[in-house]
Amino acid sequence: MNSNYELPLEDAGYSFGFLDEYAKKEVRRCILKAIAIPGYQTPYASREMPMGRGFGTGGLQITLSLIGVQDTLKVIDQGSDDSVNAVNLRQFVQLTCPGVDVTEKTEEASLLQSRHRIPEKPLTEAQILILQVPYPDALVVVEASEARRKIMHAEADYSRLLVKLYEDIVHFDEITISHRYPTRINGHYVIDPSPIPRWDVPKLHQSKALVLLGAGREKKIYAVPPYTLAEPLVFDDIAFRVEDFRDATGVRHACRCCGSTVSFLDEFSNDQGMVAYQCSDSAYCEEQQQTGSAA
Amino acid sequence: MLNEMINCSPAIWQPMLQQQVFRGLLDGFSYPGRIVACADSETTACLAILIALIDGETTLADPQQCLNSALWAKLETRPCISEKAAFILLDGTQLADLNPCIGTLETPETGATILLRVGALHPDSSGNLRLQLSGPGIETTTSISVDGLHPAWITARQEWVSVFPLGVDLLLCDEHHFVAIPRTTQIKMGDAA
Repeated sequence: MNSNYELPLEDAGYSFGFLDEYAKKEVRRCILKAIAIPGYQTPYASREMPMGRGFGTGGLQITLSLIGVQDTLKVIDQGSDDSVNAVNLRQFVQLTCPGVDVTEKTEEASLLQSRHRIPEKPLTEAQILILQVPYPDALVVVEASEARRKIMHAEADYSRLLVKLYEDIVHFDEITISHRYPTRINGHYVIDPSPIPRWDVPKLHQSKALVLLGAGREKKIYAVPPYTLAEPLVFDDIAFRVEDFRDATGVRHACRCCGSTVSFLDEFSNDQGMVAYQCSDSAYCEEQQQTGSAA
Repeated sequence: MLNEMINCSPAIWQPMLQQQVFRGLLDGFSYPGRIVACADSETTACLAILIALIDGETTLADPQQCLNSALWAKLETRPCISEKAAFILLDGTQLADLNPCIGTLETPETGATILLRVGALHPDSSGNLRLQLSGPGIETTTSISVDGLHPAWITARQEWVSVFPLGVDLLLCDEHHFVAIPRTTQIKMGDAA
């Protein structure tokens, strides 16, 4: 966001949290139904936000409907507090919600809005995680019609999705989905858990914190309530596995900054063209560096 | 029949307070069985919840006329028969002959939210009707007890929620507290210990 940007001032001004109270009430009603029906994509009237659809407007509308002056907000994008999407959204909330504190420390936040990662540090009952979702429906890869997808979801009919996974095993000896891994919530609805890596999927299972997922463009809100079953879709004889970050010799890569061998790593090339690994969760990495207690 | 007046403080019409009432609701629905103190201690809990959630886009049924016409005007919503309403406000001490909307398979979110006014909610077993709850949002099981809730409500509710995802979501409200019981919660009923 342009640091000189100001909200256009009209006579009426803007309410706390940018959204008008009617919009917030509608989002709030949808959130409660989404929690009551775990994994069900509750439709809502996604509002125009002063940023493009696809920049986290779904997550932002949830955050703005939840937030109050007693809250402390953390916004992350791919694990980082400092990337463009996170900085933009955080600045927007600061601009429109006077009195709200922001933080980069996971444990200090009461609300966490995230794009594509769940923090390394386990969340607590006092926290709520809000995930930005580009594609809410796990069935979209096997069925183009939303009307038919809704019936399939209602009947918990995921046979075609399982066939898709089976085809992967036939072709590649492995299910090749790296992120957005279809996950069954409370034994019924299968959700697209947003583009979190496989690494983060087990964190949804029996999570202490409420997880809310918002898709602004697709106009859907869904939830994984605390202490709820969240099972990645697998076969009895092929277990679900997460990224293991081992090299050809079986040694696990360590973060080049903090040395951690237990976190989710980003892979990139350094200045010398060598492959380097670094914690994706920047707040976790910094804390490890400061305490020097990296495992 | 609960004869107590429904109280309403002017402050509850402020968005900031409604936000806090909603956060209490979010807490309650996330952790069913948790007795949540309503953020506004001067407004009857069931009314504070309605004010925080209702506008002209949704419907409310009040078959026992708990709300006066001045409140109806401020809620900005239209009265609706209880078979079709999104929100239903009722007295929990007596069983009403109710046939609420439980949604359809494709649109289960249209199942009603039923607010039952009860005498008192207890986190222990000191109330008349003991409820043991389990399901999403509850780590193992949790128990509450309630004064002034007709057991037939729980029996009727079991019927309404028997085919997931169809069902109704309950809010038990005493004067200043509420407990959410979404359709996924399993209830075992027991008498007072």
